[in-house]
Amino acid sequence: MRTHEEIKQLLEKILAFAKPHTAQIHYSWDNSLATRFGENAITQNMSGESENVRIEIFNGLRKGSMVTNNLDNESMKKMIEIAVKMSKDAPEDPELMEILGQQEYPDTPKSFFDDVIQLTPEQVANDAKVVVEGAKAKGYKASGLFEVSANISAIANTKGLFCIEDSTNVSYSTTVHGPMGSGKGFANHSSYADLDIRKVADMALTNAEMAQNPADIEPEDYTVIFEPAAVAEMLGFLIWNMRARDADEGTTVFAGKLGQKMVSDKVNISVVIDDPEIPPAKFGEDGLPIKALPIFENGVLKNLRYDRFWAKNTGNEPVASIFPLAMKGEEQSVDDLVKKCKKGLLVKNLWYIRYVDRRELLLTGMTRDGVFLVEDGKIVGPVKNLRWNESPIVFLSNIVAMSRPERVDSNAKIPGIMSEGFTFSSKSESL
Amino acid sequence: MKEFTDVALNAAKDAGATFADMRIVEERQNRVYVERKSLKLIDETESSGYCVRVLIDGAWGFASNTKLTRDEVAKTAERAAVIAKASAKVPKEIPAVMAPEAKHIDTRVGPCEEDPFAVPNAEKAELLLNCTNAMLSQPNIVMAYGYLQFIKLHRIIANTDGSYLDLTNYFANPMLNCYAVDAGESQSRGFQGGAKQAGFEFIRHIDLEANAAKWAEEALLKCRAEDTPRGIMDLVLDPMHLALTMHESVGHPTELDRILGWEANMAGRSFVKPEMVGNYKYGSDVVNFTANNVLEGGLGSWFYDDDGVELYSFPMVKDGMLVNLGCTRETAPIIGWEKSNGCCRSDGFDKPPINRIPNLYMEPGTDDNLSPDDLIAGVDKGVYIEGMGSFSIDQMRNNFQFGGDMFWMIENGRKTKPLKKVTYQAQTTQFWNSCDAVAGKKWWQPHGVMNCGKGEPMQVMRMTHGASWTRFRNIAVGGAQL
Repeated sequence: MRTHEEIKQLLEKILAFAKPHTAQIHYSWDNSLATRFGENAITQNMSGESENVRIEIFNGLRKGSMVTNNLDNESMKKMIEIAVKMSKDAPEDPELMEILGQQEYPDTPKSFFDDVIQLTPEQVANDAKVVVEGAKAKGYKASGLFEVSANISAIANTKGLFCIEDSTNVSYSTTVHGPMGSGKGFANHSSYADLDIRKVADMALTNAEMAQNPADIEPEDYTVIFEPAAVAEMLGFLIWNMRARDADEGTTVFAGKLGQKMVSDKVNISVVIDDPEIPPAKFGEDGLPIKALPIFENGVLKNLRYDRFWAKNTGNEPVASIFPLAMKGEEQSVDDLVKKCKKGLLVKNLWYIRYVDRRELLLTGMTRDGVFLVEDGKIVGPVKNLRWNESPIVFLSNIVAMSRPERVDSNAKIPGIMSEGFTFSSKSESL
Repeated sequence: MKEFTDVALNAAKDAGATFADMRIVEERQNRVYVERKSLKLIDETESSGYCVRVLIDGAWGFASNTKLTRDEVAKTAERAAVIAKASAKVPKEIPAVMAPEAKHIDTRVGPCEEDPFAVPNAEKAELLLNCTNAMLSQPNIVMAYGYLQFIKLHRIIANTDGSYLDLTNYFANPMLNCYAVDAGESQSRGFQGGAKQAGFEFIRHIDLEANAAKWAEEALLKCRAEDTPRGIMDLVLDPMHLALTMHESVGHPTELDRILGWEANMAGRSFVKPEMVGNYKYGSDVVNFTANNVLEGGLGSWFYDDDGVELYSFPMVKDGMLVNLGCTRETAPIIGWEKSNGCCRSDGFDKPPINRIPNLYMEPGTDDNLSPDDLIAGVDKGVYIEGMGSFSIDQMRNNFQFGGDMFWMIENGRKTKPLKKVTYQAQTTQFWNSCDAVAGKKWWQPHGVMNCGKGEPMQVMRMTHGASWTRFRNIAVGGAQL
């Protein structure tokens, strides 16, 4: 692992090799430990480290790129030579943007924690063992992934730009199967110190126990209570459709909607850069600095994602990134949402979500790892998995109440949501 | 390279490995991506690295590295051994063993008539820009995008069986699509032919430019088409569409690692049980699936899998009966099978190989003269679907819902009008048992899939499917509407 200073020197050396051409270098380094377990045993256990460089050579409106993981001097010179040739041969790109000069980057919360890179395979195996032992005690089967990773990214160019950032991530996810149902537990943090293995194991074991022997249920419209992980799965499709140019061309659900109320006035979603629970990357496209940005405010669509070209073309500000995202919730728990529900389904997780129609943002998917019938504010019992066909726009329009938001991954902090009139269309016997 | 593989295997054996292998992977990639009239990407990627996999006391360790020196190789093997010993803290009920495989010494190179890396990037970019321009010149087309990807994969695999394999394969992956907008609707349409193990000759053969304008016209046709009908009706499906249907509902459920529960946390398990092999009616009598990892041009035809197993062809479903599963050297012995059928592959030097779908296709019907038109003629009310669209299936591979890329109403034996937003929903074996006719072999077409995601951390693998046009009776259509 190189220090930031060493990385800067490496990129300066590559830029010197590229003289007199206009060049931009992207650097990335990754280190990971990943332990998979299935049927109460470790099935794969791996570690690896990789370091890559992307060299971009600009020639007017032409560009050539080379990527390699061989960072010795000879390799770099060879890559530059090929990229230069590529940039001469390539057709002109009328949308190619000039490289940026040095930018000012905001102070952001700490995102790199040494305790992650100090973990050993033995410690990771011991942590995997916690849920396995719990599952064995109940006669259940645990499977999962415990992955810890560290990453460094940097960009440097011949116009003087240099930016660098590092991050660590700890992800523990486990599914426990009983004979007639399953439950999931998960946690995702930037630091290993924040990970409570016992809590994750208990979540999966409890959910699995609750999910046994699900009853048959007819597919129809239900009030649903989605836990934060399920909400995040669905909102992902909303966010991936936020390119301003696509909306301007009329291919997405956001066409003509900027500045309009699209969903419930309870919906407030924004890019946040100061929340230590979801530290952002400092920069995005071409080294553009990250900025805080409202996406939905009281249900009104406030911003879309403008890339550098489309921003220039339309007179808007470019958006470096629309992650990490935070959605405001309400000061209550998912259990409180259950108490407020007269009749509905509590959904732990969603699975295999795909578009049915991109323009309408109509999606389909399945429930997974626990669906529970709620009546008069109490969980009656587990029910079988269902297929759903619904739009996140409808889901966010019909919000009744929300829970406190929580980190579901490094890019999102999301509440649980109770929403009315969610459409389920068919049944499954799969547990 | 043998000096390095010897170092790794000796270090692994010294650490107590009962099996070990070293895989050195060099991958060269060339990509060109065009969006509208803009050349968004033109690049080449060269990566190389290696991994050492060791089995000690029935537990696995795996470590990868990019620095290829004798010292680094020895350290990598030692790290894999340390990891294997950590794995033993959460041991398997039955310690892992590898099914026996003969020692193979071989050097092979896959099909590639025209080296894609020698074709000028300018020519590739011009081809794509011509296609997107042709699409954008059609009425109401607002967005067109195309992509060409070429991969040269070079693997050296050496293992403690004494095998030493030097294997090279080339892959060509084209994509072209566009969006039309009309009266508040937006629909897409594009190339649906998939990828192939080949060089640039495959790109010349498919002639994207000749069809670009037609696909653009059809995108607008979809915008103006009627919405899906709703109800129980018949389906006629083209080979490109069926590639995805069989991938999800036959390929994945017959992977033995899923069946054993190893993918339960993410990709899911399977409704199939090992004891179903030989006595479970997966489909009707006209349904025959073959796993063929020596299929010419097949994306899974790698000569040897990453377990060092020599690849071959075997039936998966025969006259509707499930007769086999896809397995690896580790999964096969667990259900008492003596040998792996070669379904173990990794997507890079830094990932361990896992159980993957082989090249898997549906055999054509026995009546060579039975045509797609004949299948349509036998439908009173139904839908004809071309290409891939929406797709989703539950984690046990039972309940699925599929869309498509182009749809036509069938009424009284004739295609009558275009449709949009069609989906159908079924349970896997209900669906395959409702199949009543398969067109003859002259209508059989392969389709290479480049983006099959599975495993944790995610690995992306490639394989080829294939079929003739096929008919299904009494399927639920149109359940997905706002």
